Amino acid sequence: MSAVLQMAAAATDAGPARAQMLDAVRAVASGSLAAMVDEIDRVGTYPESVLRELGKAGAYRAQTALDGQPDFVAAIQAITEVSRVCGATGFMVWCQSACTLYMEKCGNSVFRGERFERHVRGDTLGGTALSNPMKAMTGIEPMLLKAERVEGGHVVNGTLPWVSNLGKDHYFGGAATVVASGQASHEIMFMVPCDDPAIELRECPSFAGMEGTGTWGVRFTNFFVGSDRMMADPVRPFLDRIRAEFILLQVGMGLGVSQGAIDSMWDVEQQLAHVNQFLEDRPAALQVELDALADRTFALARIASEGGQPALLDVLDVRAHASELALRSAQSALMHQGARGYLLSSAVQRRVRESHFVAIVTPAIKHLRREMARLSSPVTPS
Amino acid sequence: MSAPALAVCGADAAAAFRQYICRACGLIYDEATGDPDSGLVPGTRFEDIPDDWSCPLCGVGKADFEIYVPQARVAQAGSPSHAGHGRRDELGVVVVGAGAAGWQMARVLRERDANVPITLVTSCSGDVYDKPTLSVALARAISLAALVKETGAQAAARLKVRLMAETHAISVCAGTNALRTTRGSVRYKSLVLAHGAAPRPDPALPADLCWAINDLRCYAKFRQAVDASGEAQRIVVVGAGLVGCELANDLALTGHAVVLLDVADRPLANLLPARSSQDLLDAWAPLAIEFMGNTRVKQVKKTDFGMSVETDSALVLNGDHVLAATGLQTPGRLAQSAGLAWNNGISVSTDALRTSVPNIFALGDCISIDGQATRFIEPIARQAQVIAAHLTGCAPPTYTHVRPLVRVKTGSRRFTV
Repeated sequence: MSAVLQMAAAATDAGPARAQMLDAVRAVASGSLAAMVDEIDRVGTYPESVLRELGKAGAYRAQTALDGQPDFVAAIQAITEVSRVCGATGFMVWCQSACTLYMEKCGNSVFRGERFERHVRGDTLGGTALSNPMKAMTGIEPMLLKAERVEGGHVVNGTLPWVSNLGKDHYFGGAATVVASGQASHEIMFMVPCDDPAIELRECPSFAGMEGTGTWGVRFTNFFVGSDRMMADPVRPFLDRIRAEFILLQVGMGLGVSQGAIDSMWDVEQQLAHVNQFLEDRPAALQVELDALADRTFALARIASEGGQPALLDVLDVRAHASELALRSAQSALMHQGARGYLLSSAVQRRVRESHFVAIVTPAIKHLRREMARLSSPVTPS
Repeated sequence: MSAPALAVCGADAAAAFRQYICRACGLIYDEATGDPDSGLVPGTRFEDIPDDWSCPLCGVGKADFEIYVPQARVAQAGSPSHAGHGRRDELGVVVVGAGAAGWQMARVLRERDANVPITLVTSCSGDVYDKPTLSVALARAISLAALVKETGAQAAARLKVRLMAETHAISVCAGTNALRTTRGSVRYKSLVLAHGAAPRPDPALPADLCWAINDLRCYAKFRQAVDASGEAQRIVVVGAGLVGCELANDLALTGHAVVLLDVADRPLANLLPARSSQDLLDAWAPLAIEFMGNTRVKQVKKTDFGMSVETDSALVLNGDHVLAATGLQTPGRLAQSAGLAWNNGISVSTDALRTSVPNIFALGDCISIDGQATRFIEPIARQAQVIAAHLTGCAPPTYTHVRPLVRVKTGSRRFTV
C-alpha cells in the first residue's frame, strides 16, 4: 500500500473516533454543563465534575499521540462545543489542554505514563501560567517569577496575579527568569503542584465574568524546582515548538462563544425578524463568516496534527479573527434579543462577558496585532 | 395567587400540548411542563391558567402571552424579513499598497467618482515619492526630505481617501468581502491589490545584514547609514540588473567605492546586448566601480571590520555595506488567503486586470499576465484607468499589454531599451 493510501486510511479511521468523542462531549455540554451554567457564572461554582466528565468523554485525549496521530481539529472542536454552552468551562478545557501540551511535549518522562493517562482522562486537572511569560518573551511586560540556582535545582519566588483551573489538588505549568548575581540569564519552565507548602493560593478580586474558573492568585515562597518538576530549560525553544498549538486550541473558545451567540439570534428570529432585519451582523451572515473561519483554523490544525508547523502569522490571524467575531456575535445577539437578552439570567448577557474574555485573554487582540505587525515588517540591517 | 390544583384529564392530554411565548421577555410557557413553581402542574392548558397568573420571569400577565409554534431555522432563513441587513457604513473600494500603483489607483478612481468611499491600506507611512528617483538621488543631491513629494496624510486629504498607514494587510476573507489587517477588518465592495513585490529571500544574503532597497523606508535607512559615516564607503552590490547597476552608478558618482557582483558575465545581461554592456563598463572606467561577473555569493558575515562577502570561488570581499539587488518576488499571502489564481504573481485577465475572484482586481508589480510579471512604472497608469472604469461602471478602455520602454538611469552612460 502506498504511503498516501495509508495516510488516507488512517484519516478515515480518525473519523468515527472523532465523531464519537464529539458526541460524548456534546452530551456533557448539553446535559450536566447546561444544567449548572448559570451557577458557574452567577455563584462562581467551579464545575470540577463536568471537567472530569469531559475527560472521560475524550476531550483532552484527542490532541495527544496516545492513540496514534494527534487530532488537533477534534481537540479544537471539543473546546468549541463546550464554549458554545459555557465560555468559562470552555476556557478551563483549554487550560487543561495547554497543560496536556506541556506534559506531552516537554520531553521529561516523569510527566508521561500513568500520570499523563490520569491527566488526559480528567482524573487530575491542571492549568497554565504562561500568560505572563508569553508576554514577557515578546517584550510586552517583565517576568513575574524569579528563579535562583541552588544545589540540585532552582528556587522560585514571586506572585502570579491569576492562574485558572486550579484547586488544592491541581497543578500547572509555570515559568521563571533565572537570575544570577542580579542579572537575568534565561527562563525555565516547570510543573507546580498546588499542594506544595511553598505555594499559596490567594483569593482573586471579583471578575466581570468567567467566575467559576478556579482562578487564584499564586504566591511562590522558595518553591523548589528539581529535575522531577523541570519542563524546559531554556524555555524559548520549547515555546517556539508549541506556540502554534497553544494558540490554535484557544481559537475553539472564540468559535464556541460565537456559535452560542448565533444560536441565541435564531432563538428570537421567529418573533423579532421583522425588527431585527434592520440590524447589521445577522445570524446567517455571521454563520458564513464563522464557518469560513473554522475551516481556516482546521486547515492549520491539520498541519499541526501531521507534525508540521503552521505559519505563525496565519495562526495569529485566525486567533484574532475568532476574538473579533466573538465580540461582534455576542454584541449582535444582545441587539437581536433586546430586553430578554438584557435579563441578568440570559445566556446572551453572560456571553457578552465571555466574548470580552476571549478578546482580552493572552494573547489579546492588541497583542496579536502587534505580533502580526512585527512578523510582517521587513527585516533590515540595524 | 390562587393556584388551583388542576387535574389533567385523559381527553385534554390527547390533544397536542402547545407552547405560548411571553411577548415581553421571550419566556416560553409549555403546557406539557406547566409552571410548577406557580402551582401549574404539567399538562395545564393555557386557557386553564388563572387570569392572575403572571410570567415567572418578567411578571407581565397572561394576556401578554401568544401562541408559539416554533419554525425550523431553514424556514426562517427563507423569510423576506430575514434577508434584511443593516449596514455600518457604505462599502467602497479598498486598495492595498501606497506605492505608485496604490496612489495612481486612488487618484484615477477619485477622478471618475467623487463620492465612492476609498480606503488605502499600507504598511508604510503612505508618503508619495518616485521610486525610480531612489537610484539617482545621491548624484542629484536630493535629500531624504525632498524625496517625499507629498505626505500620505496630505495625499489622503486631497483625494478624500481614508488612509490606514503603518497597517499590515494580513489576509482576505473573500467569502465575506473583508480585508483583515493589523488594525482591524475592513469590508469592501471591491478590493484592489497594489502591494507590489518584495526582495526575493536568499539565504546567502540575510536580510539583517544586507540592504535590499525596494521602498523609500529602506532606502532612507540605508542613506542614513551611509551618510552617518561622513566618508566614502566601500559597498558590495550583489546583482547587476537594473536596480543594482543604477545604485552602483549613483554610489560611485558620489565617491563611494563599489564592487558589483553578478552571476552573469556582464552587467544588465538580461536587458542589454553584450555590446551595450561593454559600453556601460567603458563608461564606468573612470569611476570606482569594479564589476565581477560569473560570481555567486556564498555567504555574508558581519565582522569587527564591517561586512565580509565570501564568493563561491572562496574570494572574500570586505566592505562597509552589502546591497542585495538580486530580484523581486510577489508575496503570495493575500492572494493565497483569497484563493486567487496564481501564476508567477497574481494572475489577472489581460483586458480588465481582474483576478479569479470577480470583485478583486490587481495592478502593478504584484500581477502577472500570461505568467509574466512586469515590474515597471509605465503600465501602471494605464492599468489604474482600466480598473477604475470597471469599478465605476464606465465603458472601460481595454488594457493592452506591451513591453514598456525601460530607461536605464546609469548617469555615466544612459540607455533606453
